[in-house]
Amino acid sequence: MNQHIMYLLPLLFSLSGAVLCIIPVRYLERTVSVLVSFLSLAAAVYLLFQPNYTDNFFYVDGLSKLLMLTIALVYFSTVLYSMAYFKRKKNFLFQYRLYYFLMNIFVAAMFFSVVVDNLGLIWVGIEATTVSSALLVATENDQVSIESAWRYVIIVSVGLAISLISMTFIYGSAGTLSMHELIIHHPENRVFLIGTLLGLVGFGTKAGIFPMHTWLPDVHGKAPSPVSAIFSGVLLPVALYAMYRMIQINPSVTVRLFSMILGILTIISAALLMAVQRNYKRMFAYSSMENMGMILVGFSLGGYGLLGAGIIIVSHGLAKSGIFFLTGNILTAYHTTDMKGVNGLLSRMPRTAFTLFLASMAVTGAPPFGIFAGEFFIFSALIASYGWGIALFLLIFVAIAFISVNFKVGKMIFTSHDEPYNGHSRIETWIPVVNLTLSFLSLLCIPFFEMLLKNLL
Amino acid sequence: MDQIFEILGFLLIVLTLFMQWEVYVKSTIVLFAISSFIVAIFLVLLGLRNPQEEYLLFVLAGLTVVVRGITIPVIINKALHRLHEKPWRVREDKPIMGIGGSILVSLGLIMLSYFLYQGSLYGILKVKSGSVPIALFLQASLLIITHKHAYIQMIGFLVMENAVVMLSGWVFGGLPFIVEAGVILDLLGLVVVSSLIMRVRENTILHEGDNYNTELRG
Repeated sequence: MNQHIMYLLPLLFSLSGAVLCIIPVRYLERTVSVLVSFLSLAAAVYLLFQPNYTDNFFYVDGLSKLLMLTIALVYFSTVLYSMAYFKRKKNFLFQYRLYYFLMNIFVAAMFFSVVVDNLGLIWVGIEATTVSSALLVATENDQVSIESAWRYVIIVSVGLAISLISMTFIYGSAGTLSMHELIIHHPENRVFLIGTLLGLVGFGTKAGIFPMHTWLPDVHGKAPSPVSAIFSGVLLPVALYAMYRMIQINPSVTVRLFSMILGILTIISAALLMAVQRNYKRMFAYSSMENMGMILVGFSLGGYGLLGAGIIIVSHGLAKSGIFFLTGNILTAYHTTDMKGVNGLLSRMPRTAFTLFLASMAVTGAPPFGIFAGEFFIFSALIASYGWGIALFLLIFVAIAFISVNFKVGKMIFTSHDEPYNGHSRIETWIPVVNLTLSFLSLLCIPFFEMLLKNLL
Repeated sequence: MDQIFEILGFLLIVLTLFMQWEVYVKSTIVLFAISSFIVAIFLVLLGLRNPQEEYLLFVLAGLTVVVRGITIPVIINKALHRLHEKPWRVREDKPIMGIGGSILVSLGLIMLSYFLYQGSLYGILKVKSGSVPIALFLQASLLIITHKHAYIQMIGFLVMENAVVMLSGWVFGGLPFIVEAGVILDLLGLVVVSSLIMRVRENTILHEGDNYNTELRG
């Protein structure tokens, strides 16, 4: 097979799915979306075992492949879950077919962003994710979800305008936006430095990095659960991928330190905000923010920090998407996102409760899940580079996040008793179980991840 | 040529000040369309100055006129017409800052960008009045921050994009064509999607009031 086309396969599958979704035939959009998401997953797995590839259009390395795999896994599970979830929903903002059309375009834009060589085109791809996903946020057509969709559009677009400025600075100083050229040779002047720093802030907006994170809890709190799942599981890491490329093209101390400070501030603010949440979807949104902060710290450290970041990307993507599917189940049964209104989950929805308990442990870094291993690598790299002081300081906030989430989830699960709820289809309760199991299994793939990322370590 | 660029940059700043001053949404849309035409003129002049990239810059100027100058204002205008019986009377009712105050802050931002640019970038870039696009960008941010009306916020973002075009062309000699074209297409898609969201948002606020704040807090 032609190497050039091979790396576009996941993108081409999702894009062709989007085109087919337009045809007004009953159930076609669902069937096609399941098929193309499965094919994308198969292609992403196949690409894992293919060599890295770089030319004037493509830049595919281990990190790109890892992201393609995570996107494809979350995409497939989201499409499956959406079919069951939306059966009970009415009053859509648009035709049901359009939901799958936008979902496929959204995923295609993410696949595009992680394989192109040109930083400007990465920007175009990430901005295209905003265009395609804004309406997905407002799918359920109530005032709050529309307001959160609007906040998402305006805040993220302003952030991306900042990263577009960064592109002009980088291009103006280096004369190219090609990553492989910039990695080999880049100018050592102030304009280039300002460009990369602005890029970190701009793409950081999309990744939910402090201080431009304010859209994230609003969107995750109000978007339909499958949309929250794919946002949290893969959209945020795709934006972080662009941030990593900024660090890669300018690995100076200033850039690394700046991104590490951003990452630490993100962890601190997320941990503190998590502790005061009463809405369980918003709480898990802040948990995603905390994990993104941790990944950014790993990226800034490089070496084993980068390996840790890679592990968290895969493990968090699977576990957190599973959690958001579970919140969809809870919302359907309890009709509220307020934690006070959710009691006796264990007696009412035992499988959901049990999975939620384990998944919450997983995303907050409890062993034996992948995120624990990822954080372990990042803390090891942090101690090696900056000593114990900063690591212990950061550990306090990781502990706050762990206690906040698990205490609150425990209260929802173990308090009082209620009649069993049998309204969910099997698929709605089993998909989170599968995602959580895969998140656990990612731990066993660490040697393979290390091999994939060895050129970057 | 540099003096013409400076005049165009000055005109854009004045137009953005007018936007800050203007309370009627329809007039703000017209002001944005005019500013986009000025950006297109700027790109044509840039093409004349750089003969090696002449055609690409002319194409970009054409795209700017068609997309930013005509299509986007028409789309926003149509969304306004669908929602209101008297669209020309739609106005910003609850600006976060008064007109006088926001113009003062706006002038402060122009000075700030001048000092920022002179102090940090001028020494390296040696482009006179390179602070103009930076001032424009900050003014656009202010336009977004000080207004609650979705249409004006959207226009603020579009002015921001115009500022980036000015910055890349004037100070750095432009971005690769494929990126510029991608940016324009993305922008068009964003405006189409946003106009739908804006319309639904304004409609619900019109009928139900804005009672979303309690759920989107914390």
